[in-house]
Amino acid sequence: MGAATHKRALPRRRRRQAGRTPWFDWMVLPVLAVLAVVIGYPMVSAVILSTEKYNPVSGFPAQGVGLKNYDRLLNSDPVFWEALGNTAVYTFGSVIVASLLGLVLALLVENLSDRWRALRMLLLTPWAVPIIVVAFLFRYMFEDAGGIVNAVLLDVGVIGSPVDWLTSGRWALFTVTLANIWTQIPFFFLVFSAALAGIPTAVVEAARVDRSRGLSMVLQIKMPFLRGAFLVSSLIMVVANFNDFGKIWAMTQGGPGYSTTTLVVYVYRLAFEGFDLGYASAIGVVWLVLLLLFAIIYVRALQRDPA
Amino acid sequence: MSDTVTTRTTSAAARAVRLGARRPRRWGPAKIAGVVVVVVALLWSLLPLYWMLSTSFKDALEATRLDPTLVPQSFTSANYERLITGSLPFTTFLFNSLLTSLIAAVVCVVLSMFGGYSLSRAQWKLRTTTSYSILAMRMLPMIVLIGPLYLLLLETKLLNSYLGLILGYTTFGLPFGVWMMKGFMDAVPREIEEAARIDGYSRLQILFRIIVPLTLPGLFTTGTFVFMESWNNLIYPLTLITDIERQTLPAGLLLSFTGQFKTDWGGMMAASCITTIPLMVGFFLIQRSMVRGLTAGAVAGQ
Repeated sequence: MGAATHKRALPRRRRRQAGRTPWFDWMVLPVLAVLAVVIGYPMVSAVILSTEKYNPVSGFPAQGVGLKNYDRLLNSDPVFWEALGNTAVYTFGSVIVASLLGLVLALLVENLSDRWRALRMLLLTPWAVPIIVVAFLFRYMFEDAGGIVNAVLLDVGVIGSPVDWLTSGRWALFTVTLANIWTQIPFFFLVFSAALAGIPTAVVEAARVDRSRGLSMVLQIKMPFLRGAFLVSSLIMVVANFNDFGKIWAMTQGGPGYSTTTLVVYVYRLAFEGFDLGYASAIGVVWLVLLLLFAIIYVRALQRDPA
Repeated sequence: MSDTVTTRTTSAAARAVRLGARRPRRWGPAKIAGVVVVVVALLWSLLPLYWMLSTSFKDALEATRLDPTLVPQSFTSANYERLITGSLPFTTFLFNSLLTSLIAAVVCVVLSMFGGYSLSRAQWKLRTTTSYSILAMRMLPMIVLIGPLYLLLLETKLLNSYLGLILGYTTFGLPFGVWMMKGFMDAVPREIEEAARIDGYSRLQILFRIIVPLTLPGLFTTGTFVFMESWNNLIYPLTLITDIERQTLPAGLLLSFTGQFKTDWGGMMAASCITTIPLMVGFFLIQRSMVRGLTAGAVAGQ
């Protein structure tokens, strides 16, 4: 083979090799195989189930009902709307309060010296407490008779008679949300601490020279730097709260009545207490759509202003 | 120290002494308010935990007193002894939880290592699509999956088995692990691999001899995360396990302390203390990576 032909052949071979980029890689196969079984199949199955009437305990086979399940949840199921409202209160209530408190703490602790590292760690501890323990602990502290919270409030004179924190529809959602806030403040505290540490010192110094102090320093100089951290961390916690089952179930099982039943708890109650798998799946699908919509809005917000 | 300047005037010196400050640090109202907030935050974070610990050493009578005692008067370790000797199968729950969480962690780490490596390095056409599909799975509400998953395990006779439970844990462990490992492997410079390739290493050899040693902290973090999430999970054991002897710690405790032992607050708090320990250890081991783990993949290009 002459040098000339070799030169001409090389680019062509390269092109052919580029065209031979494989479609797939076996190394990712085990992951995809497991995910196909535990997520792919159930997803498809849930969509199909949502158009059926199926009770696995009854012994009758599944029966196609078209869109009847969706019709029911939109038009004749007050509990669905109540659960949706509870979900909104629980999700956004927790995120708003926990992120604000986390931010305040991060700002206050920001300039502490290394000697106070332990203090940061102590502020993080609620995060490391298992969900079931949080539930038990709040159940015990917020008990009507003998709970420490009522005892202290009675003693101080804030309340005249014991408040039924977890056994009345009026307070249960508040108490459950409070427990959730307790566990989530550390997350926001850590995220905002990291974001604050990432602000270029030059910016802060320049602002200080311009006599920017205290609140105006925080609002005008530091806040813009925290926007990205806020969006990402609140998205994560909104999704987590949307999907949260453990705390609510372990504290109230969705009761009294439906007062602490969020969508996830409602789906669970329908599927594993009423064995109405078709209707439960329909709600699951609607909820999946809601969550995706929310995620898309958020990603847009992030892209508009990359942090 | 600018004290030398201030001591020239007696009033300034007196003020410095009064405040006991070596440095002229101003204790304005804002600063005091700040300290108060931090102290309140500390109490808010730690008092519930103290309350848990304190109650776990009280006897039944004291734990339900209408005027609670801050320090246990009837100091007793009976609550802990009862966990081992009593009718509550606490040690069985503990064993089940440890076993399933550990296996789930190991399985997810190994699979994520391969998957993450491929998604980080290998050139193949569906790579980006696959990456983002797996990322989307992280947001899936598990409750949508649980009905069909239950039916699937029912048909394959895996209901009530460790394997079924571990499969359940992989629904959150794998999407998380893959993105986490992809992130760690993206951070390893490609030049190192090039050198190994010239030396004639195969892909598997590169992965095991070059990449794995360099991403060991990542593997450890991923494993700890999956372990903690599995340890915390309630919905899978509640639905996929029906035999109390096979139950995990959170679900087993919930079932026990909602029915039979409903008002055994001392026992409940003792069990809570034990349940907290593994999670605390895990948390403080990987505390620096906590935010990174939770936000893995949440920021494009991370």
